[in-house]
Amino acid sequence: MSITEQGLLERDKDTMTLNMGPQHPSTHGVFRVVLEMDGEIVRSAEPDIGFLHTGIEKTGENKRYVHCIPMTDRLDYLNPPQNNLAFSLTVEKLLELDELPPRADYLRVIMCELGRIGSHLVWLGTHALDIGAMTVFLYCWREREEILDLNEMISGVRMMTSYIRPGGVAFDSFPEWLAKVRKFVNEFPEKVDEYESLLTNNPIWLDRTKGVGVMTAEEAMNWSMSGPVLRASGVNFDWRKNRPYSRYDEFDFKVPTGDNGDVYDRYKVRVEEMRQSREIVVQALDNLPTGHYKLPDNKVSLPDRKKLHSSMEALIHHFKLVSDGIKVPAGETYVPTEGARGEVGFYIVSDGSNMPLRMKLRAPSFMGIPGMCKMMEGAYIADVVAIIGSIDIVMGEVDR
Amino acid sequence: MTHQELIEKAKADLGDALTSAEVVLGDAVLHTSPEQFRRVAEYLKNDPAMDCNNVSHITGVDYLEQDREPRFEAVYEIHSLTKNHTVRVRVGLDEDEPSVPSVTDLWSGADFAEREMFDMYGFDVPGHPNLKRLIMPDDWEGNPMLKDYPLVWEDIAFSHNADHKSELVQTKAEYETED
Repeated sequence: MSITEQGLLERDKDTMTLNMGPQHPSTHGVFRVVLEMDGEIVRSAEPDIGFLHTGIEKTGENKRYVHCIPMTDRLDYLNPPQNNLAFSLTVEKLLELDELPPRADYLRVIMCELGRIGSHLVWLGTHALDIGAMTVFLYCWREREEILDLNEMISGVRMMTSYIRPGGVAFDSFPEWLAKVRKFVNEFPEKVDEYESLLTNNPIWLDRTKGVGVMTAEEAMNWSMSGPVLRASGVNFDWRKNRPYSRYDEFDFKVPTGDNGDVYDRYKVRVEEMRQSREIVVQALDNLPTGHYKLPDNKVSLPDRKKLHSSMEALIHHFKLVSDGIKVPAGETYVPTEGARGEVGFYIVSDGSNMPLRMKLRAPSFMGIPGMCKMMEGAYIADVVAIIGSIDIVMGEVDR
Repeated sequence: MTHQELIEKAKADLGDALTSAEVVLGDAVLHTSPEQFRRVAEYLKNDPAMDCNNVSHITGVDYLEQDREPRFEAVYEIHSLTKNHTVRVRVGLDEDEPSVPSVTDLWSGADFAEREMFDMYGFDVPGHPNLKRLIMPDDWEGNPMLKDYPLVWEDIAFSHNADHKSELVQTKAEYETED
């Protein structure tokens, strides 16, 4: 045995096992990290993802495609429209629907970007709260309320909107809603400045976040990180740009990236993403096309409610779709989309019936946890809090 | 490189390591066997033109009663973030002893995904550094995502049947084991 190994063995006796968490608001009750501590330094971190067990994948394999939509809401409950979109795009790809009406795509984009802003607001508020800044949390909640109000106005539900369906969206927009969205996006940049004035140059914030939880670009790619965490490490990759879906190629926006891959860069990237999402919503409002808000093909989307009183054909289609659902041709596919936390996608295998044979969610929080624990190795215990917060995990999609 | 070109290149370079390769609905899909899987994975990771540096997800599929062989499949969705392409690798697995070698040494991010596959489908993953249950408790019997593992149900107790609440709640499925 070499002297180094001997030394390590002796030091092992001095390490302490510490159960860390749940500490972050989105991990309450279901996520802890078992840390092996050498004094204040973390030697190794072992995640335990707890028992939330929604069983959504298994349940989804016993439900019709349309009935899976409300379940996808509950996966990433901070940004439900993105999950609806990922699921709908995959079903549409299996149905070989090449193009949706432009209005449907634009409404999807508006909802997803508002969802992204709302999700980042929850992240920013709780992350700052973890590190000890209370005011930011209250400010962020104030704006998030407005987004939830907008959700409620268009879909009737504040969080689990189930707004995006295969073939389009559930309801058309209307002038009052569009005016309210416009008011929100007009006022929003000022609010982001307000958050930044509290944090960006704050010496305490800088001390707690700069150089903490560093991950290089190579490591980030190898550890399956995606979204803002990947971009903060300097990888310029965004599914909205690299493989555009839902007409994202018609919008002009920037993909913010970081240089150091630390907690501070992840903060900067997400704050800039909120501004860019706002830009996308403004452009979508300016150029919102007229026309159908869902595919006029009644084999996929429900016929208009009004027609049920006058058209026998509409009534039959309505009955068939509600009682039997969409029949999806046999095959399998996967469509990656850019969620608030990273790559969200559904891998669906169809056997040609009206229920998926296999429905698998690619969840950015789940795939990011091993990488997060890698970041903790060698960090101080106080930094563990900052690192967990900077990854922005949502347990709904971890423990499906 | 388009997905069609990518498939042509993989066919030329890997030869008999692939059982088939095709473009389905625009996705590049490689089929292989568990014995040849490591060769395919190393090729995807190390070939400069492939340069696959990111595992998107890993999952199992159970084709029970689907009239096809083999019953199980392990599916790997692998991206190249630098070259912006994706390859799906489908590995057909033996029904009696499903086993597929680990790729955690190639892509560290495969850690949780392989454990989830082991937990939910019961596939053995030799070479994984920490292969144990991830989502279900350590002493759980059976693998919940298998098609012959029944759905669990729970009858809701109302005031008229509240007295029988303990009989109404079925918390664990009856799972048929061989012994």
